[in-house]
Amino acid sequence: MLNAIDKSLLKTVADLEGLPKGAFNIRKNGKLLSRQVSANINIETNAEGTGIIVTIKPGTKNESVHIPVILSQAGLYDVVYNFFIIGEDADVTIVAGCGIHCGTSEPEGHAGMHEFQVGKRAKVTYVEKHYASGDGRGRRTLNPTTKVFLAEGASAEMALTQIGGVDEANRLNEAVLGPNSLLLITERVLTDGEQRAVSTNNIVLKGAGSRANMISRSVMKGNSKQTFYATMDAQNKCFGHIECDAIIMDNGANETMPSLKAGHPDAELTHEASIGKIASDQLTKLMSLGLTYDQAVNRIIQGFLK
Amino acid sequence: MLELKNLYFTVQDSGENGGGSRNIIDGIDFTFDDGKFYAITGPNGSGKTTLAKLIIGINPVSQGSIVFNKQDISPLTITERAKAGIAYSFQQPARFKGITFRDLLAIAAGTEDKNKLLEIMRRVGICPLSFLDKEVDVKLSGGEIKKIELAITIAANPKLAMYDEPDTGIDLWTIDPMVSLLKKELADNRTTSIVISHNKAFLEAADVILILDSGKIVYSGNLEGALPLLDDLRVCTYRDSCEGDQNAQCYR
Repeated sequence: MLNAIDKSLLKTVADLEGLPKGAFNIRKNGKLLSRQVSANINIETNAEGTGIIVTIKPGTKNESVHIPVILSQAGLYDVVYNFFIIGEDADVTIVAGCGIHCGTSEPEGHAGMHEFQVGKRAKVTYVEKHYASGDGRGRRTLNPTTKVFLAEGASAEMALTQIGGVDEANRLNEAVLGPNSLLLITERVLTDGEQRAVSTNNIVLKGAGSRANMISRSVMKGNSKQTFYATMDAQNKCFGHIECDAIIMDNGANETMPSLKAGHPDAELTHEASIGKIASDQLTKLMSLGLTYDQAVNRIIQGFLK
Repeated sequence: MLELKNLYFTVQDSGENGGGSRNIIDGIDFTFDDGKFYAITGPNGSGKTTLAKLIIGINPVSQGSIVFNKQDISPLTITERAKAGIAYSFQQPARFKGITFRDLLAIAAGTEDKNKLLEIMRRVGICPLSFLDKEVDVKLSGGEIKKIELAITIAANPKLAMYDEPDTGIDLWTIDPMVSLLKKELADNRTTSIVISHNKAFLEAADVILILDSGKIVYSGNLEGALPLLDDLRVCTYRDSCEGDQNAQCYR
């Protein structure tokens, strides 16, 4: 059922050696390849047949859902709408990811629209990896949208990674935080060659006592360019922080625009942003431990994007 | 084991006098013997850190040569000098993002084996085991990062270890164990040790004390002989230029 290319893509984007344990839904070339539900996690195709609805029962603990997408069909642009309902007091991990293998000069792409309704006091960890490979010269495009709604006391930790090979990426992350909820987003993007990546983040701190931390780590190699927009809109007593660091290698370019809006006198918002080459003291330290210049560069980038 | 021959490090001054060159290290000739403990001291700006950076290869030699175990290492890169057995503990260690103490220890020791890394931690003794997975980033305190820096240097098992002000930010209770640790490394592994410090604990532990002033070695010998000179150096070295005797408004 899974060929060698499928297995390699799944390994890269979802750390899967084969079919996972627990609930999963694997989509290949725009169609369902395999699905499994568990006692507490249900997965069903939506009414329009354009995506899935994942429902997690209240109180579900330490369970995970894998929903990888793999593409290896020339000329296909796959759009999927996925909806996640996470019940109150649940604590679950959702592993998504998209791997594109492009073997021809035809373009291939995927747009994953993910919406999360996180119930009261529920905790969700969302891991998403994007990767493209293959010898073909067709453009590989990934345009994910993630919308998160956190109920009172809910928390979401999201790790969004674009590892390499993606020619064009236009990401939109939106979140609305209820009272005492917590959102942590870490985005890591590596681009090379002529690749372009844009990430737009709109975080609304609506409830009293809500907290959000957005961390962005970008590495631009070759002539690639990344643009990062992040807005924290504080509408209540809350805490928000944006940290964006970009490392430029070769002729890479970066634009970073963190934006803070305080609409409440007790809002506390901070941001720090930096763009530059690898710090020379870091390189010198690793070289003084016996690494060559190139090994030191790789080690620093590897850690930065870890 | 380490010979500094007629060693100079010269920088171009961009100062008001229209430029010109200045010797930060001003013709040093000295031989460090195998398996001895050296302390280098001297006033701020006397060239101590510059000298250490010349030896590890961060600063290029302007004139003269550095001979390590009979090989002229002056043209070698930092990496090659590290591989030859020279290690340097930075005065202000680099802080990373996403790199842990374990990562640095593994690079220095050349192994990722957890038992071997724990063995190094126990050997070094001054870092609690909980440090192992700490990120070496801006969140570490000044003292923590100096302990980590010292542990990494020892983990590399160097033939020559240079420690640049290892006691900066270190609590008083750790300084004596630190001195004992360096002496033990020297006794067990014959690690020739050079400590740059103003701290009496290191000066007392050293076999040989070097006093650097204005890029020159003005004294080498035991502590007893060094004391009068050290007292002298406490006197302001700017007196000639600011004529402090006439002008009592000195804020240095």
